[in-house]
Amino acid sequence: MPLFEKVLYSTDFSPLAEYALDYVKKLKEAGAKEVIVVHVVDDLSIELPDGADLLREKELFKILPEVDQEYVTSIVERLEAIKQELEKEELSVKLYLKYGNISRQIVKVADKESVKLIVMGAHGKGLLTEIILGSVSTDVIRNANCPVLIVKKMEE
Amino acid sequence: MLFRKILYPIDLEKASLEAKPYIFKLKDAGCMEVHLLYVMVPSEWGLIPKGNYNSEEMIEALKASMSEGYVDGLKRTFRKLQEVAREFEEEGIKAFISIIPGKLSEVISSYAEENDIKLVVLGVSAGSLSFFKIGEIVDIIKASTKPLLIVKSKVNYSSENEK
Repeated sequence: MPLFEKVLYSTDFSPLAEYALDYVKKLKEAGAKEVIVVHVVDDLSIELPDGADLLREKELFKILPEVDQEYVTSIVERLEAIKQELEKEELSVKLYLKYGNISRQIVKVADKESVKLIVMGAHGKGLLTEIILGSVSTDVIRNANCPVLIVKKMEE
Repeated sequence: MLFRKILYPIDLEKASLEAKPYIFKLKDAGCMEVHLLYVMVPSEWGLIPKGNYNSEEMIEALKASMSEGYVDGLKRTFRKLQEVAREFEEEGIKAFISIIPGKLSEVISSYAEENDIKLVVLGVSAGSLSFFKIGEIVDIIKASTKPLLIVKSKVNYSSENEK
């Protein structure tokens, strides 16, 4: 049964997200073949349309201020490094760099790519913030159309 | 050994049973043990001493303080859990059953800590993740320090209750 065949890995490049990558690699033994790596930026100095694809829409990149171009370039490098790491494990990899609301974009890519599972790290946030605003992870769990693996903290 | 020991909180409803195939599959990624945990939530159990009611004898002894009907219902639950446990054993995964009274999120997180659980697998209904009902699931996520696999059932909460 291809329950884990295509996995979306969402990363914010934090140590917790890096740790969540170990789970993605391990899932290869349970049938994972393809990994969709997603990073969403929501902190550029100019406003872009929600869902803008910073990897594929090259003209968007050109209109960014220099400081944002440098920032996006550094993110692309980090995504490429993750791609190489996963390809070493013989997993096929596709990268996404999106702009907009983080949880919404993760779910959108998951739907578009028909992934079987979303893997992400979850940082503990203040209780009040979570009740009022919801966290990225709870919003993803609520709106995703597939199972979600939430990695909470690193094993000691 | 990221998936070696899995905690599977189960209420025997369709949504929680839908998580089962994921655990079977995780055997290939190293799952060797599954701990089935049935939590008796306060509205069900009233005043029972804390403990793990994981044998027919222990459940039978509850008749001293609880209604016979409730205790017999709990025994039926225990037998159904044994059936689920057998399915895991047949797949080569060692299965343990626990029936513990308490608040869902607290029982799950303390069980996971005490038993060195590597992953918690939760089957939840779509309805329980609606804007108004997500509180309980958030409580479980917040209370747990362990990774969680949330398997969302397509089963609608209200239709589940109409059964």
